[in-house]
Amino acid sequence: MAKILVLGAGISGHVAAAHLRRKLSKEHQVVVVSPNSNYQWIPSNIWVGIGRMKSKEILFPLAPLYKRKNIDFLQAKAMAFYPEGDISENKPYVLVEYVTEQNKGKQEKVTYDYLINATGPKLNFEATEGLIPEKNKTHSVCTYTHAEPTWKALEILIHEMKQGKNVKILIGTGHPKATCQGAAFEYILNVERELVKRGVRDKAEITWISNEYKLGDFGIDGALLSYGGMTMKSNEMMEMIFEDRNIKWILGAGVTKIEDGIAHYENLDGEYKNETFDFAMLIPAFSGHGFKAYDKNNQDITDKLFKGFMIVDADYTPKPYEEWKAQDWPETYQNPSYANIFAPGIAFAPPHTISKPRKSKNGTEIFPSPPRTGMPSGITAKLVADNIIDSIKKGTMSLKHKGSMANMGAACIASAGYGRTQGSGVSITTYPIVPDYVKYKNTQGRDLNKTFGEIGLAGHWLKMTLHYAFIYKAKMKPFWWLIPE
Amino acid sequence: MTQRISKSKRARMQNPILQFFRYIRLNLKILKIVSKGHGSTRDVNYTK
Repeated sequence: MAKILVLGAGISGHVAAAHLRRKLSKEHQVVVVSPNSNYQWIPSNIWVGIGRMKSKEILFPLAPLYKRKNIDFLQAKAMAFYPEGDISENKPYVLVEYVTEQNKGKQEKVTYDYLINATGPKLNFEATEGLIPEKNKTHSVCTYTHAEPTWKALEILIHEMKQGKNVKILIGTGHPKATCQGAAFEYILNVERELVKRGVRDKAEITWISNEYKLGDFGIDGALLSYGGMTMKSNEMMEMIFEDRNIKWILGAGVTKIEDGIAHYENLDGEYKNETFDFAMLIPAFSGHGFKAYDKNNQDITDKLFKGFMIVDADYTPKPYEEWKAQDWPETYQNPSYANIFAPGIAFAPPHTISKPRKSKNGTEIFPSPPRTGMPSGITAKLVADNIIDSIKKGTMSLKHKGSMANMGAACIASAGYGRTQGSGVSITTYPIVPDYVKYKNTQGRDLNKTFGEIGLAGHWLKMTLHYAFIYKAKMKPFWWLIPE
Repeated sequence: MTQRISKSKRARMQNPILQFFRYIRLNLKILKIVSKGHGSTRDVNYTK
């Protein structure tokens, strides 16, 4: 009998647990540890943030589902890793602390044969002074608990605009090295469309602020893509959309401090500037959770497991942008020091960024961190689960399933406005996610047959389809496994 | 405001009938990318 411990119940952790349970017989134990009681379909949070969906439509409680599916669930947070056990415990374990009312603060050693660290990112709001959800007129759509009050604040602002008030709205990234530009991009387009629908668009000046060097970088170094029978750069496509909707933009901006209605930022020219606003939604920096790790003798071995996020089979040798290779990126997400530990999704430490690193004239690094959200999170979680399943069945470590982000496609279906007939979406696919400038040397590192962009109502319908399909899949309803990650 | 998307193009973008066929096409295109799967970049066959 094998015991697999999954830390985290987000897209990555939940996908891994679901596949492990489906393919392993009941003699094997699958344990999920998560401080969250609910599963949330994060991509739909932007619709909660514009009042078009209620949070109950994008989440469901995990405990009843896991009970039904014979998955053990501990509502707790991981505290420290002991991959060799300790003096009193021979098996490797993770020290967890319960967060529920009745057991709050109680700690437990949860042993494992295989460990999947799918803890995702810490939303590091503290990295930007004054960037606090619902404070200083800044808001967030990173979680449903953030998105609900964000809509309340936007609703009040719309009411004030109807009374004749002119407002400034600022949306984008809230840290010089923030990632997840895609979510902010969706939100700014949805907010713009809502203001049009409610007849107050002329009362708002909407501005995009981002650490990207060019629009459409999205943390993947931009893309050359097929659009309407021609080849277009992603920055040209985004400029077209923003200009068409009268959205201004500030690029190469590292937001360092927020005061009440003021965003202070440094740009790549080394200038210190500020932008005022009545409502802002700024994505924070993502960071690791600061976990510690100890060996059998209680010596600190955090460096063997973590480099901010978890160390996996990537090539972490520091090298300049010009020497980065597709082969630097991990394929099995296995920790090199402990073969039974894996980190899919956002939990793994990337070898470097995907976008070209840039510094301001003052030496401040201002560029997007690499995204690993959504589709890659699900794909990497499934391949890690499949390798563990093979290893258990064969009785020996098997790493047959591989998936480098430099040999993997992703579809980013960005909502650009909600509505059955009036909605819109910007659908972008990239193949591969991490550009391979050697294999696709004439097309900016990507296969143009599989890297394309589309704008229109079909994109909204597709995003709605994904919403319902992935919640169906996450609820593990009949034949859920037929839906790809 | 700079009108970068022409009225006729915008009409096509929001036409439910045209967009229905585009929706089917988009689904198929994405499925094709997904079904191609993913893999290693370190195998000898990768660049072929």
